[in-house]
Amino acid sequence: MITFENASVTYPGGVQALRDVSLELGDGEFVVIVGLSGAGKSTLIRAVNGLVPLTSGTCRVGDQVVDAHDKKAIRALRAEVGMIFQTHNLVKRTTVLNNVLMGRLHRTATWRTLLGAYTKGDVELAMQALERVEIVEKAYVRASNLSGGQQQRVGIARALAQEPKVVLADEPTASLDPPTSHLVMRDLKSICRDLNITMLVNLPFLDLARAYGDRIVGLRAGELVYDGPAEEADENVFRDIYGRSLTADDVLEKEGSL
Amino acid sequence: MSAVPAAPSSRPGSARPDKPPPPPFVLWGSLGLVGLTLVLGWDWEYGIGFSLRDIYDNLGRYNPVLEGVRNLDWSTLASPTVLAGFAETFQMAAIATILGGIVALPLALLNSVTGAPNTFVYVAVKNFNSFIRAIPDLIYAVFFVAAIGRGALPGVLALFFLSIAVIAKLTSDIVDGIDQGPVESARASGASHTQMVKTAVLPQILPGYTSFALYTFEINLRGSAVLGFVGAGGIGEVFNNYYQRGWYDRLVAVVIGFFVVVFIVDRISIAVRKRLL
Amino acid sequence: MARTSTGGMTDAQAQQRSEDIVRPEKPFNRFRWTVTITLLVLFFVTSATVDIELSQLAALPERTLFYLGLMYTPPDVTEAPSAITAMIESLGMAWIGTMIGAVVSFPLAFLAATNLFGKPVVFAARQILNFFRSVPEIVFLILLLPVTGLSPVTVALALGISSIGTLGKLGAEVIEGIEGGPVEAAAAAGGGRLQRIRWAVIPQVIPEIVALWLYRFEINIRNSAVAGAVGAGGIGTLLVRQIGQVREWAAAGTSLAIMVIITLLVDTISGRVRRRIIRGPTRAVDLGANAGEQPEGTGPGAGPKREGPTGSVGGGSFVPV
Ligand SMILES: Nc1ncnc2c1ncn2[C@@H]1O[C@H](COP(=O)(O)OP(=O)(O)O)[C@@H](O)[C@H]1O
Ligand SMILES: [Mg+2]
Repeated sequence: MITFENASVTYPGGVQALRDVSLELGDGEFVVIVGLSGAGKSTLIRAVNGLVPLTSGTCRVGDQVVDAHDKKAIRALRAEVGMIFQTHNLVKRTTVLNNVLMGRLHRTATWRTLLGAYTKGDVELAMQALERVEIVEKAYVRASNLSGGQQQRVGIARALAQEPKVVLADEPTASLDPPTSHLVMRDLKSICRDLNITMLVNLPFLDLARAYGDRIVGLRAGELVYDGPAEEADENVFRDIYGRSLTADDVLEKEGSL
Repeated sequence: MSAVPAAPSSRPGSARPDKPPPPPFVLWGSLGLVGLTLVLGWDWEYGIGFSLRDIYDNLGRYNPVLEGVRNLDWSTLASPTVLAGFAETFQMAAIATILGGIVALPLALLNSVTGAPNTFVYVAVKNFNSFIRAIPDLIYAVFFVAAIGRGALPGVLALFFLSIAVIAKLTSDIVDGIDQGPVESARASGASHTQMVKTAVLPQILPGYTSFALYTFEINLRGSAVLGFVGAGGIGEVFNNYYQRGWYDRLVAVVIGFFVVVFIVDRISIAVRKRLL
Repeated sequence: MARTSTGGMTDAQAQQRSEDIVRPEKPFNRFRWTVTITLLVLFFVTSATVDIELSQLAALPERTLFYLGLMYTPPDVTEAPSAITAMIESLGMAWIGTMIGAVVSFPLAFLAATNLFGKPVVFAARQILNFFRSVPEIVFLILLLPVTGLSPVTVALALGISSIGTLGKLGAEVIEGIEGGPVEAAAAAGGGRLQRIRWAVIPQVIPEIVALWLYRFEINIRNSAVAGAVGAGGIGTLLVRQIGQVREWAAAGTSLAIMVIITLLVDTISGRVRRRIIRGPTRAVDLGANAGEQPEGTGPGAGPKREGPTGSVGGGSFVPV
């Protein structure tokens, strides 16, 4: 579903955030990326929908090559790829429903979106997406009136409203407390399973990564240092990724399983 | 369209809500906006009779301004009256800004909870400032012209009150927003109210105050353009003179000259103010 | 007493230390001195050269009191109805002018925001806004008069045109203060630029921008007095006639009082509405559906509040740099 071939990204400032990464993700796979802060996790995820252009190499979604400079094509591709953000990125001053309808932008005529005249079908899809994350009763509430966990569920609904083939999630639990983090991860996992959506998720915490990922990809200073099933990712693998032994700080629940 | 299947429910049941009516504030606010525009814009006793059609029709009529633009008389910019007008505008603006700035500083301090010694002074000064601000500069000007005769003095006085209004308002807003830490520590060390203001408040607001005073000089330059119409001196006297006689070739030339002067002063002032803040 | 400040050191020790560490001289604050001297020189030079007669200055206090006396002992209240009618006309000019400025400045504000458009577009939009800001109302008024006639509508047009600059500039600053996240989210969903602006930018900025309109309305009420310079109606024209031409001082007293009272009244109402617009609804629409999850928007001072580069519009202030 997603293929990286020798992908590299160098930012304008000269930081090389990805070095020659090759990676292949199958349909409906749930892949978790782990790595230290600054390892290039966000860069890898953003390369998939062209928010960050590759400096060299290629990235493909399905059989379509991601070309951040072809504006029309990249918008069409983004419509197929949902994205969930660490900070939810909701427009706080408008309703939950309006936020979820942002997932329909590319499928709707521009004049309709400008007037807010979304079709019945779009509204229905948005409602179903909200039902999927069990927050439909808040459809007409201002997003600012929701808790962090509720906001993140709206963020997920917005991605679902796109009817995506792929969902990217950049540290979706980073601004949530541990119990809420588990709820959100469970949602993502069941969505992946039920809808056969390919998921690429960044996680800062190892216990979450092992608990929910089918497959774990380790990044270190922009290089791929591990790629394998979650259950095989043991202490040694993490030492590779983190460049040191595990400490309590690396897990979500300090008295965690590792 | 593929439906999104529902998840096995783990949270309390949730039903789709009906679309609620818009919040009353938004509803009444929008109605008020439209209503006011209709009432005040309509052509009736209490409206000004705004009509795009009339404006469009008027655009097609003979246009002396465009005629003036076509035959611009640049030489008028060098005439002694015009040069004297520009000079007087500068003088009026400078004097008014300096005097107004001096008077506005205490008024701004007393216009804030932190700066006022007690509630009584605070309320009194706040109302005084609002009062000064409620009277437009042109009205100050026409009053002083009627009281003491034409010339630059009524103009200076009008701009003096305008300066007080602007500087006191802007400065008192930053007094309200200063860091309260130094205020507390000054109080804790037993400082009197005046000492506290001098050591904890003034240093914090001085850059903003200076910046506002400079900004007020720009405002005064622009403001002086209207005062000459009621005999209160400055470049406005020239504007009024040419306007009354319909000498648009000269008027537009002077207007462009004035614009260039104001623009240059603005640029300089903005550059200085950026450094101050 | 002096001993305490050196913490019980002996004189010799203190001596020793002051030789090690040189106490700095009080630095000479060149900037402050330059400013002070410049201002003093400027003030005296301009005062000495400006065309003001000392006799005028000497007569000022007495004359002012005398005419204020004529205005208010007592004011001629029979003139109140005409003053109120004139004030309503002023409010009309100010409001319609503000709406004209709002409509025209709205798109310009987006074009002038660096986080939405590229350098050339922003530069062009800013120059246009600067132009409208630099030209005073009276200039627009006398350039419009020969075309659209001596009427309140012309004043509204002049006020509207000169509002474009400030509204556009402050609007652009509000837009530049938004959160970028929602815009990125809209882009990630495949939204085009117009769609991103409509759904990710406008909902974030509309309260502040409407508050700016109201703020400008308050200013335009005062600016509408400019009509008095050419006799185009409103309370300005009435006062210029009563004070400057026919010298009906007692009637002018009434007009002035009515102008001040209505101006302050509108200020108060408009200020309240502005604060309410920016604060948003205080009461959360829906509370406590999920136990354990604390809604973010219900605490004291909840709701989005930003201190953008324009300061708090809700408080009725802006920093005009
Ligand atoms: N927009 C940017 N411009 C310049 N450098 C960036 C930018 N975004 C990220 N970087 C740098 O690229 C590296 C990888 O960043 P990122 O992909 O965000 O890492 P992670 O998400 O793993 O923390 C870091 O060194 C970061 O400082
Ligand atoms: Mg990151």
